[in-house]
Amino acid sequence: MTVRTLFIGMDGATFTVLNDLTARTGEGPVMPFLAKIFEEGTRAKLRSTPNPLTPPAWVSLMTGRGPGHHGVFDFIRAEERAEDVFFTLYDSRDCRVETIWSIASRQGLKVAALNFPFTAPPPKDLNGFMVPGFIPWRHLRRNSAPHDLYDRLKAIPDFDAKELAWDFEQEKQAMEELTHEDRENWVKYHLPRERQWFRIADHLLREEAPELMAVMFDGVDKLQHQAWLYVDPKQQSGELSDYHKRMRVLCLDYFRQLDGFIEKLVTAAGPEVQVFLASDHGFTATTEVVRINAYLHEKGYLKWKEVPDTEAGRRREESMFAFLDWQNTIAYCRTPSSNGINIRVARNPGESGVPPEQYEAVRKRLIRDLEDLKDPKSGERIITEIHLREDVFPGEAMHDAPDLLLVLRDFGFVSIKNKLPVVEPRTEIAGTHHPDGVFLAYGPGISKGATIARRQITDVCATLLYSLGLPVPSDFEGKVPQAMFTAEQLERRPVVIGATTVGAAKNDEAAGMGQDEKAQIMAQLQLLGYME
Amino acid sequence: MDRFTQDTAEKTVCAIVEDLVQDWGLDLAVPIGPTTLLVADLDFASVDIIQLCVALEQSYERKLGFHDLLMKDGSYVGDLSLAQVAAHVESRLQ
Repeated sequence: MTVRTLFIGMDGATFTVLNDLTARTGEGPVMPFLAKIFEEGTRAKLRSTPNPLTPPAWVSLMTGRGPGHHGVFDFIRAEERAEDVFFTLYDSRDCRVETIWSIASRQGLKVAALNFPFTAPPPKDLNGFMVPGFIPWRHLRRNSAPHDLYDRLKAIPDFDAKELAWDFEQEKQAMEELTHEDRENWVKYHLPRERQWFRIADHLLREEAPELMAVMFDGVDKLQHQAWLYVDPKQQSGELSDYHKRMRVLCLDYFRQLDGFIEKLVTAAGPEVQVFLASDHGFTATTEVVRINAYLHEKGYLKWKEVPDTEAGRRREESMFAFLDWQNTIAYCRTPSSNGINIRVARNPGESGVPPEQYEAVRKRLIRDLEDLKDPKSGERIITEIHLREDVFPGEAMHDAPDLLLVLRDFGFVSIKNKLPVVEPRTEIAGTHHPDGVFLAYGPGISKGATIARRQITDVCATLLYSLGLPVPSDFEGKVPQAMFTAEQLERRPVVIGATTVGAAKNDEAAGMGQDEKAQIMAQLQLLGYME
Repeated sequence: MDRFTQDTAEKTVCAIVEDLVQDWGLDLAVPIGPTTLLVADLDFASVDIIQLCVALEQSYERKLGFHDLLMKDGSYVGDLSLAQVAAHVESRLQ
C-alpha cells in the first residue's frame, strides 16, 4: 500500500498568526517548514461554517456538506420536550451524512483518521484505523478501530493515553479566566499531547501506509483561546511585561514543535504524496462580553429559574447551558458556543411557548430587538449579523438549528449568564473564532507559490477525494478548487463527479437518539457537575 | 425471568465491563462479578456510564432503554451493581 494523500488538520489555525510565524525576517521563521509549504504550494483562506465552531466545522470538513445536512450544530444538543428542555451531547451517530472515512473505505481505500472530533464510536464500515478525538483516555480502547489498534499503540515508545486524550477537567479551562500560572501550564499541557498524536501518525504512516492519512492537532485552538495576547502579531509591540515575553516564548515553542511534526510527517509520507493542511476556523481577538440571555430577559423573552444557594446550584450557575423557567420563556440562547437564539414553539395545546401562527411575528420582533442592542457611545450595533436558519442551515436537519444565528461585532461567543451589564468590555483581550481559516496544499501536481480565492470548508472533503483519485459525490456542496492543481495534473486526471453518497454509516442500535439515551446523557451531565 | 438468559446477560455485562476497565489501573479486592458496583468499586464517572450503555447497545445491536435503569422517581440513581445492569438488559431483551 502507498500513501496517496496526507491531511493535517490544525484546529483554529489562522493566517493572522501563520503569516507572522513563517516570515523570513530577523532570526528566520518560527515555522520554517510551513514557510516552505507557503512558498512551494498553494494557499487559500477557508470560510468556515456559518457558526465557526469545532463541531459543525470539522463535520462539514469530513463530509463535504453543511450543518443543515449533516445535523451537527454544537457540542451540546437540546430538544424541546413539552415543559422541559433536554440537553444532550452530540457524537458520531448524530451525523446524518456519509463521512470521507466511509466514502474512501467503501471504495477499497485504506484510511487512518486520528484525533478528529465526532468520530466516536467509529463507523462499522471503516477500512483502516481510527483513534477519535475529544474522548477521555479511559474510552480510547473501545472507540479505536480496529479492535487491536489500542494494544498496538501501547507498544509505541512513550505512548501515554492520559497525555494523548481529551481531559474534561483540563479542557474546561479553554474558556475560563485563568491565573498567570494556570495559563502558562495550559500552554505547556498541549505540547506533549501533540507529540503523542504525532507519534501515532508517524507509526501508522510507516507501518501501514494508508492511502489517506489524516491527523488533527487541536492545540492551536486551545492555546490561542487563552494566549491570543501572546501570539497575535498586533499585540507584540510597545512595553511588554516579563510574563508576556515568557508566554510568547512558550507559544512560539509550541508552533516550532508543531512545524517539526508537520515536516516529519510530510517527509515520512514521501515525495509523491499530495499534502493538504486546513483549519476548521480562524482566530481573532474578542474585546467584550455580550450577555445575550440577560438582554432577552430585559426584553421580556425569558425568565430565569431560581438557582438554589447550594453547591449544586452554584455549579449549575456556572454550567455551559441555559437554566431557565421554561414555562415563561419564549426565546433564549442555549449555549455560549451556539451563538444562536431558539424560539420555543407550543407544539400542542396547553404547552408553553409561542403559538405556531405567531412564530413569524415573534421572530421579526426578536430580530428588531437584537438589532437595537447598540454601543451607547458609538451607536454601533453589537450584533452585526442576524441570520435566519433557513438562510444559513438549509437541509433536512435545519429544524435542529437555532432559529437565529448571531454574529457579534468582535466575532466573540455570547455569554448566557444571569449577570449585568449586558455588554461589558473584557479586562484583557482573549482569542475567539474567526470565520476565515486556512487551506494549504503542497506536493506533486500542486500549483507552486499560488494564493487562490477563498474557499469553503466543504471544499476540503471534495479536494481530498480528488487527490485520492476518487469521484466527488454529486450531492456534495463542496467543490474541488481546480486552481490549486497544475494544468498537467488536471489534464492527466480531470475532476470526476460521481454517484451520490450512500448515507451515514448505520449503527442500528443507535440510529436516532431516543428518550432513553437522552436520559443517559442527562445522567452523565449530572455526574459531570453540569446539572443539579 | 428466564434464568439462562439472565445468566447470559450477566456474563455479557461482566465481560464488557472487564474489557472497559482493563487499562484503568484499578486495584480490585475481588474479581468483577454481579455484585460489583459501578461507582463504588470501579470508580465510574458519568462519562463511563454512558460509554458502558453504548457498549452494551452495540453488543446487543439494539437500544436498551437505560433511562428506566438510571432514573428512579425523577432522580438519578447513585450506583448500580452489574447484576442490576444485567437484569435491566434482560428485561429489555424479553
